[in-house]
Amino acid sequence: MSKLAKLERRTGHQLVVATTPSLQGQPIGQYSVCLGRHWGIGRKGMNDGAMLLIAPAELKARIEVGYGLEKALRDEEASRIMDEAIIPAFKAGQFEKGIEAGADQIMREIG
Amino acid sequence: MLTLRKRSLVLLTPLAALSLSACGINSVPTAEENAKAKWANVQADYQRRADLIPNLVETVKGFAKQEQSTLTAVVEARAKATSIQLSANDLSDPAKVAAFQQAQTQLSGSLGRLLATVEAYPELKSNANFLALQSQLEGTENRINISTKDYNEAVQAYNTTIRTFPDAIGAKIFYGAKPMETFKATAPNADRAPTVKF
Repeated sequence: MSKLAKLERRTGHQLVVATTPSLQGQPIGQYSVCLGRHWGIGRKGMNDGAMLLIAPAELKARIEVGYGLEKALRDEEASRIMDEAIIPAFKAGQFEKGIEAGADQIMREIG
Repeated sequence: MLTLRKRSLVLLTPLAALSLSACGINSVPTAEENAKAKWANVQADYQRRADLIPNLVETVKGFAKQEQSTLTAVVEARAKATSIQLSANDLSDPAKVAAFQQAQTQLSGSLGRLLATVEAYPELKSNANFLALQSQLEGTENRINISTKDYNEAVQAYNTTIRTFPDAIGAKIFYGAKPMETFKATAPNADRAPTVKF
């Protein structure tokens, strides 16, 4: 079973890792919220989903956190994970490593 | 006899339901409450931003005393912005909405100027407390954008409801419903702030 499925089984929180070929000209913060709502990430009424979105074509990435997880994964933590675990690996061309390290650290906060 | 009476009841109920829903009796207050609830989120997000500022100002002050005038501008803009409260009932008053919006835009502007001066202070830029505040501020600007967008959508739905026949009848007769004002995003760098380029 994958780490993400285990997280959901254990805590109920859904973490989704997604890549998109294009942001369609939208700011990534808006795109990620629309995608998260469209997919219905997290439990209804609890808003306890999170998403790591990567847009390789635009060289952008974002951690989106549902309202219900804001206390577990705070802005400054998300920002630190992005700066320390994800971006350096991406800059070195190691997407897999960046995604894995980022997802691991997100899970450590919300798990 | 019994069956007849039952049938007439069945006939009557859908008709009553139809007449209630068709004249805006239910749809107008529902749309209005929805928009007001969305407004509460917008307000909470602005409050959250205001709450972060004193800490930010203190932190910057510790490293950049020379920026006194920029710091004062932020403190004053914050005081002005928090003094203008917009209750849900004021949302159909264009002047009040404009005043609220202007105060928040002013605060966004002075905050932007303060954050720009930070570039000149490498020690401040790498200070853990400052970095945390900066990411919280960015996250809050993004929340303001999202809640504003949600509010605007709810207002548009409400405004359409009260202007569209037949709901417009009930809107006018029973509720004296007035259209609400939409909102523009205030942060000048709102769509840039929370993104990270790699």
